[in-house]
This record gives sequence, structure tokens and C-alpha cells, in this order.
Amino acid sequence: MGRDGRVVACNEAAVGHGVTVGMLSRSAEAICPTIVSITQDLAVEMARFEPVVQTIETLIPRVEIQEPGTVYIPISGAVEYYGGEEALCERIEKELDHFGGDRRIGLAAGPFAAYQAVRRTTRSQPMHIVVDDAAFIADLDVASLGSDDLAATFRWLGITTLGAVAELPRDAVISRFGRAGLEAHRRARGVGRDATPRGIPDDPAVESHFDPPIEDFEQAAFVARNLAQRLVGNLAPYGVAPHRVIITATAADGTERSRTWRSADPFSERSLVERVRWQLRSWIDGMSAGIRGGLEALRLEPADLSGSGRQMALEEDAKDFEETQRAFMEVQAIAGQDNLLVANPQGGRDPGERISWARWGEESSHERDPDEPWPGRIPSPAPALVPPEPVPFEITWVGGIPEQVQLRSRWVPVLSWAGPWRRVGRWWDGGGVSDRYQIVTSAGAYLCEVREGRTYLIGVYD
Amino acid sequence: MVTTLEHSVDSSTLYQNDFGHAKGLLTLAPGQIAGLSGIPGSGLTRIGLSLLAPYAVKGPLVYLDVRGWANPMAAWEMGIEPERLVVVRSNDIVSWGRIVATLLDGVRGVYAEVPTGLRDQVLYKLAALARIKRTPLVLRPISGKLPGGVAHLNLEACEVLWEGTEAGHGNLTSRRTRLVASGRATRGMVQTIEVEDDGTNDLRVVPHLGAETAGYIKGRIRAG
Repeated sequence: MGRDGRVVACNEAAVGHGVTVGMLSRSAEAICPTIVSITQDLAVEMARFEPVVQTIETLIPRVEIQEPGTVYIPISGAVEYYGGEEALCERIEKELDHFGGDRRIGLAAGPFAAYQAVRRTTRSQPMHIVVDDAAFIADLDVASLGSDDLAATFRWLGITTLGAVAELPRDAVISRFGRAGLEAHRRARGVGRDATPRGIPDDPAVESHFDPPIEDFEQAAFVARNLAQRLVGNLAPYGVAPHRVIITATAADGTERSRTWRSADPFSERSLVERVRWQLRSWIDGMSAGIRGGLEALRLEPADLSGSGRQMALEEDAKDFEETQRAFMEVQAIAGQDNLLVANPQGGRDPGERISWARWGEESSHERDPDEPWPGRIPSPAPALVPPEPVPFEITWVGGIPEQVQLRSRWVPVLSWAGPWRRVGRWWDGGGVSDRYQIVTSAGAYLCEVREGRTYLIGVYD
Repeated sequence: MVTTLEHSVDSSTLYQNDFGHAKGLLTLAPGQIAGLSGIPGSGLTRIGLSLLAPYAVKGPLVYLDVRGWANPMAAWEMGIEPERLVVVRSNDIVSWGRIVATLLDGVRGVYAEVPTGLRDQVLYKLAALARIKRTPLVLRPISGKLPGGVAHLNLEACEVLWEGTEAGHGNLTSRRTRLVASGRATRGMVQTIEVEDDGTNDLRVVPHLGAETAGYIKGRIRAG
């Protein structure tokens, strides 16, 4: 299960039950109740993915990683060497065969088209070669831009394909949609990002040397954090951020290992720290033989600098947003995905009914319209505590009037009370009649329900 | 039933200072910790949420629900938007501290019920973390009180009086809770205040009511 509560990968057995990638995990659990959900850990995935990247690099150098599981491979030279695109893809397939699993290859002139080509592949047809990038991109749906809001607005304007987006005047798109529109327009036209017009340092790379060499991953990760902060901090005054970063580690025995990471959005401090950590972990703790003699130097070299993504809106605070998302994901991992919840109002008569719960990150829906009239609804203020199930509650009634309430081991006199609010259930469905009372004592006020001669606590006005 | 307070505020400086101080008691600055103690029904959940409600404007708040009884409607009535409140349910005493520590790092405010049997050391560490992260934290022990020195403001409910209900008529409308406040927020002195809650997102605070010196206090102010 991924960060957004959706299925990111599933095994054959799950597929057999109808589970698909991209499906909400809640839906997957509904169609396959015995399914075991595992929260995605990208650091572990990267450690397992590293040998795959190494294998590809034995064929073609300068591989760029976007995320664990996705790599960009520049093949212009390799195509000639291996005798054509199909031959190259077959060779890659063959080399990766012993890793097992599901592999997909998309081949195009630009990275955006290549990524979209991969998304066109299926399990039975794992390869998609784009002959004409412009024609391929023109046929793509606007949803492929990766922004639901933008896609919805384009559709509302009657623009459904990237070809139609590309035909729009650039200035009009910028004035209407701002930075997001400009990026969409570029992608639709198959154009790369603009080079930054600002002067930036000749060598913006940052590097640290360690004496004695670092052998512990946690120490290395700590250093990596400082380095990533320095890199992003050095570039910030120029208003640019990298879309690609080359991470180079030098071992004490003099060997150098290097890996390029790519991101569709410019790297922020946090996202860069995260990727450097993953990479170091895969090198140090992974199956790739570690860094012999310890880490002597670490270098981060930015590439593909751009000014996009660095200017926040007036009230926008991307750092806070990222921190919040991260905190919630961690809590979800500790407490379980069913225990991080967001509530929304819905219609109902009892306090417990008027809440619609949804897991954090999942879309919420309400079964009952809160704006409909709900006769018999308990008036506000709402009780601050509502038990998940009614709890038996001892009250002594004298002539239909509540006289005493048992709170733990002692009996407390009732000072005043209100009610009953009668609730008539669906008799044809087996629902009975119940009366709700607000009971006030010197220790507090309680909402209780009398049903079939017994009293239950259904709310505490705390 | 309780008689209604006068709506005028005495103009003497002494009394204004008293009101100003009482009003200040029910606010929580970034990084400050409030401890609430009293039995369920004394109104402390709403008071705790009201302390955090101003922070919901800037980002999400979290209610760490140990009992599984939290009703977000009370938070909405205190002015917290539904999308700004996330409820975490966990009654695991082992992971409780980790959850709170993680939340302090990422959200604007935390209301946490404290499970029974938690080690004091965990609370001291979390209090230090809240101060470092400048995240306001409200702690509500399920039973008993917080250990000394954890909270900037300790509020203990002494008495609660409800209005609106008669013998079977009306419905609950407003509540007055008498609280004993102590801690650094009260400059080391123990003070008695009364909080009036009418179900809206404003609490009205009256200082010293119920204490022996309350004879000359007349009036009420808005805390928000």
C-alpha cells in the first residue's frame, strides 16, 4: 500500500481476486478480505532495486533513477551498439530475467513520452516503442499531465488531449493556469524545461570528506542530511532547484560509486535527503557488497536546474505540508492504517451516527445527507465523548423520573434532566423504539438511551 | 441552578488585570503544554480543544484517542474545521510515546489522552520535545494527574453546573465549569476560574469565581 492509501503492487493471488494497482486499499480489502496489506517502504525497495540498476549499468551507463522501480536509460549510443531498439530492449530483458517479477519498458525520444509509453504497457505486452513522440503525446489524455485539477479544468473547457493543449497559445495558458499550465504546455509540445537564465555558480556541487571513513549507515545518513541541506540552501538564493542529482560515494579503498536520481518536480531539501538516504542504505546495507573500508567522501552534484517549484503561493507552506504528510505516514505505520482517521459530518439522529469516518488519505463519503431534516435529533452542544457501542448505564427511575446515576462505584443524584427524544426504528427491519435523555449530575452531564427497559450510555458531555 | 452573571465589567484597573490574566490562562502559546484532570463529564475535552482551536487555522490538529470515544462534532463546534482534525486511535501504551513524538514534529497542535500506567519519563521527554518543536500539546490523563513539572498550565475540574434542563423540559444549553488552575501559567499560584461554555466556539472566562475573593468580581469576557 502506498502513501496515498492505494495499491502500488500486488501478487498473482491478489490479481486473481480482482485486485489491481491503483485501487484504493479499502476496496482491495473489500473484494479480498484475507488480503495482507504491507505499507510501502521505499528505502527497502531501493535496497532491493539497486542490483537491478547495477545490471542495467553493465549494459548502458548513466542510468537515472526516478524512484525505486523506475529508471530512465539514455540509449542513443547503445541503440547503435546493440543493433537497434528492439535488440537493445531484448538484451535488457534478458539481463534482468533472473530477477523475476514484472518488467515494463517504454522507449521514446524524450523522458515524458518514455514514461507515458511505459504506462501504456500491459503484462502481456511489456514493451512499447514510440516511433513519433509528437504524435504519441498529442493522442494522450489530459489526465496524463499528472494533475487532477488541471485535467478537470481542461476537460471543462472541452480540451481532452495533449494535442489540443499544445495548440493553445502559450501566453494564454500561462495567464490562465500559471506555472502548472506552462509546464503542461511544454510537456504537451514535447519540449523540455527552459534552461535557467540566471547566473549560478560554476560548480554548485557539495562534497564532504571523512577521516576516519564512516562505516555506519546512520552516521552516513546524518552527514548526507547536512550535505543535502547545503546543496539546496546554496541554490536557493539563485531561485533554482535541481531536477537531477548525481550522488557519488568514494570508498576508503579508492573505488567510486555514482548514481543519478531524477525527479519530475525539483528536489526539495527533504526529498533530496530521503533519496540520498535510500541510496546510501542500498550501498552500505544492501546486497551490493557495501562500501569497502568505509565512506571516505560523499558528493552531491546537481544537474538540470530550474526555477520552477521554488516560488510558493502567498499562504502556501510546502515545508509544513510535507512535514505533516510525513508525520501522518509514520503514525499510520505505527498505529495501523485503520487508526488514522478523518471525520466528516453526515445526517443522523444520534451523535455517533452523525459522523462519517474515513482513513486519512482516502476519499470520504457520507451515507446520509446532513442537510436533510432529522426529527428526533439530539440538539447541540454535542457530547464530546461517544462510546463506539452503547454502554450499560445504571439509573434508578422513580415514577418515570431519573433519581440517581451510578458513576463507577458511587451513586450520584440527578440534578435535572431533559427528554425523552423518541427514536422510532424501522419496525419492518427489526428496529425498536428507544428514548434518549440528557441527565445532569453534579459530576457532569450524560446522554443516555432507554431501550427495552434497559439504560445505555451513548454520550458524555465532556 | 446557577444565576446569570452581570454583563458589565468593572472599570477598576485591579479588576481589569484580573480579567486579562484569566483570559490569558486559557490560551496556549506554541510549545506550551496544558494538563487537564477531572472525571469525564466535567467539560475538559472541550476546554482542551478550545486551547488548540486557534492553531487549526494554520494546519491540522490531531486528537490522540486512547479510549476510542472521541466525537469530532465537539471539535467542530469549537471552531475546528472537519478537514483540520485528524483522529488517531491507539490504546497501545508502548507506542503511545512514539506516536505523540511523531505528531509533534508534523502538526500544529496535539490533544492527547494519556493512557493509565504510562511512565513519567515518557511525559517529561514529550514535554521537552513539544517545547523544542514549538507545538502546543494538551494532555488529558485517563485517570489521575500529570506528574509535576510537565505542564505549563494544569487545569483541574472541581465542579460543573449545567443550564437549560428542567424536570424533563428543555435541553442542555450552557455549562459552567469551575477549574483550579496551577503551574507556570499562574505564576506558581493556585487560582480558581470559572469557564462558561454555551456550545459555540467561544468560552467565557470569569476569574476567581467560587474563591473567597470572588465577591467583587462581576462580569464576563470573551476568551477568543
